[in-house]
Amino acid sequence: MAYLVMATGFILILIGFYGALTNRNLLRMIVAFTIANTGVHLVIVAIGYMHGRTAPIIDSAVAASDAVLRIIDPVPQALVLTAIVIGVGVTALMLAYAYKLYESKRTLDIGKFTELKW
Amino acid sequence: MDFDWMKIPYAFLTLFIVVNYGFLLNAFIQKIGARVGRRHGIPIWQNYADMFKNYGLRSSITHGVMFYLGPVFRLSGGVGLILFVPIIYGSTMFSNMSFAGDLILALYFIFFGTLGMALGAGESGHPHAAIGITRGLSQVTTAELPFALAVFSVALQYQTLSVTDIVAAQQGGVLNWTLFTNPLAVSAAMLSFLGSMMRPPFDVVIAPQEIPIGPPTEYHSSYLALMQTNRAIFPIAKIVIYMNLFFGGATDWPTFFFKVFMIYLWSAFVGVVFPRFRVEQSIRWFLIWAVPLGVLSIVMV
Amino acid sequence: MVNALYIIAAAMAAAFFLGLIKEDKRGLAYTVTLLALAFMTWVSAGWLWAFAVDGVLTVEIFTAGTEPPFAINLRMGLAEAALTLLVNLTGLLSAIYLKDTLLELGRRAMAVLLIATMALCGIILTRDAFNLFVFFELTVIATGGLILFSDANDDGRALSAGFKYLIVSQVISVFLLLGVLFAYHVTGTLNIDGMNGTQWALLNGGAIAFFMMFIAVVAELKPFPANGWALDIYESAHPAFSAIFSAASSAATVFALDKLLLIGGADWLPVATGVGILTFVASNLFALPQTNDRRLLGYSSIAQIGLVLTVLGQRDILGESTEFIAFGLLVSHSVAKAGLFWLSGLVAGRGLSDWSVIAKRPLLVFAFVTFICMLSGLPPFPGFYAKWDLVRLLASEGRLALLALILIGALIEAAYLFRWFGYIIKREAPAEAVVCVAHKVLPVFVAVFAGWALGFVWGELSGRANLLLAIPLLFALSFLLLDWLPAWVKNSIAIVGMSTFFYLTYPGYDPLQLIFAIIILVGGAITLLASYSAHGRRVGFYPSAMLMYAGLAMLIHATDTFGFFAAWEFLTIGSYFLILRGKESEPHALSYIIFSLGGAFMILAGFAIAADGSYHYLIESLRQLEQPVAPWVFAMLAIGFMTKTAAIGVHIWLPGAHAEAETDVSPMVSGILLKAGLYGMMVLLLTMGKQQLYGVELTHVLLWIAAITAFLGNLMAIFQEDAKRLLAYSSIGQMGYALFGLALMNHLGWLMALMFVINHYIYKSMLFLAVGGVAKRTGTRDMYKMGGLITLMPFSFVAVLIGIIAVSGVPPLSGFGGRWIFYNAILDSDYRLPMVVIFLAGPIAFLYLFRLIYAIFLGQLKDEFRQIKEAPFWIVLPQMIYVVLLLIFAVFPGIALRRVDEYLTRFFPEGGLGWATNQITSNYGYWNPVAIMITIGVIFCTLFAWLLFVNRKAQKVKQFNIVFSAERPFRPETTHFAWNFFAPYRKALGFMVQPFVTRFWGGLTELLHSTADFSRKLYNGNGQTYAFHFLAFVVVVFFMRLGV
Repeated sequence: MAYLVMATGFILILIGFYGALTNRNLLRMIVAFTIANTGVHLVIVAIGYMHGRTAPIIDSAVAASDAVLRIIDPVPQALVLTAIVIGVGVTALMLAYAYKLYESKRTLDIGKFTELKW
Repeated sequence: MDFDWMKIPYAFLTLFIVVNYGFLLNAFIQKIGARVGRRHGIPIWQNYADMFKNYGLRSSITHGVMFYLGPVFRLSGGVGLILFVPIIYGSTMFSNMSFAGDLILALYFIFFGTLGMALGAGESGHPHAAIGITRGLSQVTTAELPFALAVFSVALQYQTLSVTDIVAAQQGGVLNWTLFTNPLAVSAAMLSFLGSMMRPPFDVVIAPQEIPIGPPTEYHSSYLALMQTNRAIFPIAKIVIYMNLFFGGATDWPTFFFKVFMIYLWSAFVGVVFPRFRVEQSIRWFLIWAVPLGVLSIVMV
Repeated sequence: MVNALYIIAAAMAAAFFLGLIKEDKRGLAYTVTLLALAFMTWVSAGWLWAFAVDGVLTVEIFTAGTEPPFAINLRMGLAEAALTLLVNLTGLLSAIYLKDTLLELGRRAMAVLLIATMALCGIILTRDAFNLFVFFELTVIATGGLILFSDANDDGRALSAGFKYLIVSQVISVFLLLGVLFAYHVTGTLNIDGMNGTQWALLNGGAIAFFMMFIAVVAELKPFPANGWALDIYESAHPAFSAIFSAASSAATVFALDKLLLIGGADWLPVATGVGILTFVASNLFALPQTNDRRLLGYSSIAQIGLVLTVLGQRDILGESTEFIAFGLLVSHSVAKAGLFWLSGLVAGRGLSDWSVIAKRPLLVFAFVTFICMLSGLPPFPGFYAKWDLVRLLASEGRLALLALILIGALIEAAYLFRWFGYIIKREAPAEAVVCVAHKVLPVFVAVFAGWALGFVWGELSGRANLLLAIPLLFALSFLLLDWLPAWVKNSIAIVGMSTFFYLTYPGYDPLQLIFAIIILVGGAITLLASYSAHGRRVGFYPSAMLMYAGLAMLIHATDTFGFFAAWEFLTIGSYFLILRGKESEPHALSYIIFSLGGAFMILAGFAIAADGSYHYLIESLRQLEQPVAPWVFAMLAIGFMTKTAAIGVHIWLPGAHAEAETDVSPMVSGILLKAGLYGMMVLLLTMGKQQLYGVELTHVLLWIAAITAFLGNLMAIFQEDAKRLLAYSSIGQMGYALFGLALMNHLGWLMALMFVINHYIYKSMLFLAVGGVAKRTGTRDMYKMGGLITLMPFSFVAVLIGIIAVSGVPPLSGFGGRWIFYNAILDSDYRLPMVVIFLAGPIAFLYLFRLIYAIFLGQLKDEFRQIKEAPFWIVLPQMIYVVLLLIFAVFPGIALRRVDEYLTRFFPEGGLGWATNQITSNYGYWNPVAIMITIGVIFCTLFAWLLFVNRKAQKVKQFNIVFSAERPFRPETTHFAWNFFAPYRKALGFMVQPFVTRFWGGLTELLHSTADFSRKLYNGNGQTYAFHFLAFVVVVFFMRLGV
């Protein structure tokens, strides 16, 4: 199960990269990166998963005393939340850029923004 | 400083002999050249006559200080050269000022007169003078080179730079002369000799047809007289160096007269046979024919 | 100490607080921002003080009340304190610099600036891998935000740059995040030190995890070729932001990489090295054809960080010195680059030559000079100490290829930086002036101050003699403060200072050194007399000249290789600035500095190889070097020194540099500066002696080089129309003679070389001054335009006359002594063929010397010069002093040479001279200068008197009264035979002076430029291509490191 998720995650990353490298439209590129990010998040979650264990919530179901043996690793789960938040931030920033870029040249084609080179 | 004051009258005696011999020899060589060309040539006393005439001229002009000093430089060069070289081997009477320096002094002092003369002629403002000087200097750079190489070779051979010691090493028979012990050096030097005697094929410096008499164009009267005197002394001084280095020197005045004459004759001999080179031709000629001999002589010593 | 956490907390709090301030209260918001940044700076500074001065130990800061690995921890140590100080200070100064912009943009921009600074500090402080990721992402967002804002008053190009950056950083963040998580998976901890403790890197999965983290952080360092985005940002963003991006971001990221490399261990060091050096060389190369200032600075930034990365990659051999070196390079880069970016904001145009507007502001020029010297690793800045140690250690471990690449890259960098400086000083300034507002100038000068202060700190840390405490250097630098004084006051101070220094140090010299010391200090003072002729303040002249003299003085005093090399660099820079002052000297000064630095690098590498890692290496120790190292060291040092003596092949800088220099500068750089190379050669030959390389005697090779130099130098001199160029070529020839004497390696050869050293100083200074004076009066240096000046400028004529007699070696003047010793020396030598060449060189000197005096002073006077006067008194005075010196030295050469002759017996016991009263004897011949002088004098005077007597009525006639084919010439122009004076000579030997060497170096430069111009098309401006570059970079590095 974990491997399936991890594989899915990697496939998503590759799709994302492929999309970002082949689409010339800014918005499509941003979407592609979002897909890649999702893939990364899946991979992270899959890393933390341990077979046959339960969610890392210490309550009546899992006593604090034997939690170490019964729950999956909570750290990746915590981290993935941070990663998602950051991803949102970056995506928002990219969208803002796309908006501004469109304003400046009335186009979303990345190939049109090459005044700076060499 | 313990200076032997008797050297001064002796020096005057040397000069007196050399000047007179030079006047006569110059005229004689010129006459030989004329006879080869089926001309009658000048009388043997002509140079004396010219000199007296020039000293006697009343009018004289100057173009400035250096112009004035040029002939003085020129004659100082000739006189100095004679005095810095021992004339007669083994004679303290005619060794003159040779205690002041060795062969190198003589070699470099040759340029003293040349330089002064060039400066004086330069101030005259006459383009022919300047053209003559550029030609002369250009030619001398390569003409002197084989000689310098030969001198170096001889110095290496005898392991000394002292002219007296070099002559001493050649005593005791004709076969001890450098001519036979180091023939390569002597050949290089003798080719170089042609370039410094102002005779064809290397006389473009004073080329009478194009730039009438070259550097001295503007000189006249007593200036010219001084330079004529130098023209009598200088070739002799130069030949004395050759004689001392390559032909065993001279132990008495008759040998001296004979050897000097024979060496001088060599340039006259070549001169009457060949036409004149242009400057770049003579530069190439010296580099191609004379310099390799000099190089060989250095390597072989 | 304030807890370092407050650095982060303060920024966050202030950023949040900014959100509460009303939009229109911008002044308040700005104050809050500045206060927060100042507070952050103060905290870091406090820590730095505590670590550096009070010796506090490194502090761990735990968050969430738990120890790692259960909570994030930060660490504050010496390195962290220094770097956060750098980051915060850069942030603070940029905020000050951005005053107008920030007030216009409002609180949001200020908040982003705060966050950016905070995030960079976080990267430095954190010891947690995931936290590192978070701070990186924060940096990305803040950077993106800043670019977005900084575009507000620009043309929209920064926007596209920012977007390209975001694209690449998205890919990077994927790698970083995956890497961190997998690393966590393998090691079970997120703590960097915890990861370090485990042997996980040996596992294959662990290696890949590490690789992903590593490559992500490396990518943030803008490695070649995955750095197109960064270049675009540098080019388009606001300079104050670029300053942060270049100085602070790079510093923080480098530190992050350093942390990671601790985890990765030794296996990853070669990767860092490879990426670093490739980036360093490629970026510097690509910078060559840049015309946009900020893009050029961008390339340079990337290159510098590449160098730091290389250093980190060499940690295995650099060991404890790594920090000293890496920080030395890093702070040099950061301070200088921040300063330059800030400076670029003051300049309106974006072309490199638009910077010439700052030429009118000496302080800004000083700032620029400070910055480019820091970047080029010149003393006394930290980069110099760092480079010295880096090279020393690399050489000791035999990593010579890397060493060579570093030096080549550094040379290219110096080349384009100094070319730029040349533009600034020499190009026509655009109409608009520099806008100097206090808040923009302040940061620049804080950077300048920081640069010098850091130079002092590094000098203290180096454990060597602190260069900034050397008396000669301090004396030279003090002229920077005195530059407001009028020139004559400074001149007097300089002369007094140099003489006093000589007086005080006089007893300490051995006879060899004494000769050089006299020439440099006393001779320098005499030359400076000519500088009294200058009027006004002459801004910049005295610091440069004194820097050169200080370098020269330090060179003679140096006992170890470090001191020697530092002195060498000082005199190079000083003389470069001096040469650059000439009117048309821009290209020549550039080629001078490039050749000099190239030569200096050879010396540096040679010393480093010789030292074999030892920390203090005395020059004396060169004596103990053995095969197979010794001949290589010898060759490198010899080449280095020969660039200064302008041996053939590396001579092309000299004619222009000496000819275009100012009147009183030419004698300094010719008469005095050239001696530095000879001094180096002497030291080299005295210690190392004869060396064999592949069976070839290196001194024999030197003989040939010297002979050909003498010959070609002289030959080229005769074809010059320009009087000063003629003298310059003549110097090449003269140096050839001196080098020849040294290479003979016998007693008399050395004596002759010293004779040339003294003679060349005297007559070349004299001739340059005389010709300079004439050029000043006539307004031209072309000799054929002059003529007949003898009566108008009699003193100059006398100087030139004495000068040329001395140079030509005609008795009775001192040049003859040199020739005499020369002939005696070569009789002692085993090699005969090189003599032939040098024999040929001798008479050629007559040609150019005659041309010099004839074409200027003799011949026909031109109409336009009929009214000119003798050269100014202060230019004539030193010439007359030289005339006297020359005459004294001609008659009594013993006063200078006798002691040296005795001293040389220690090294060459055979073949000394005999010094009886006045009579000098060698093994072969003899020479009596007094007798020669008297004899010639008497003959000359007698004949002169005779001529006066018989010719007492001579009349002075007018100029055109000459025998001219019965015509009267009336135009001096047509009568003055001077142009193409030696035409027959050119016909015969002109083929030898074809500019082969110039063509070779020109071709090489052209090749570098066109390669760079072609290759930089790699950066096509498309964000996707840049992302592709990055992925390709990842794949290549991956296969290089792990795939095999």
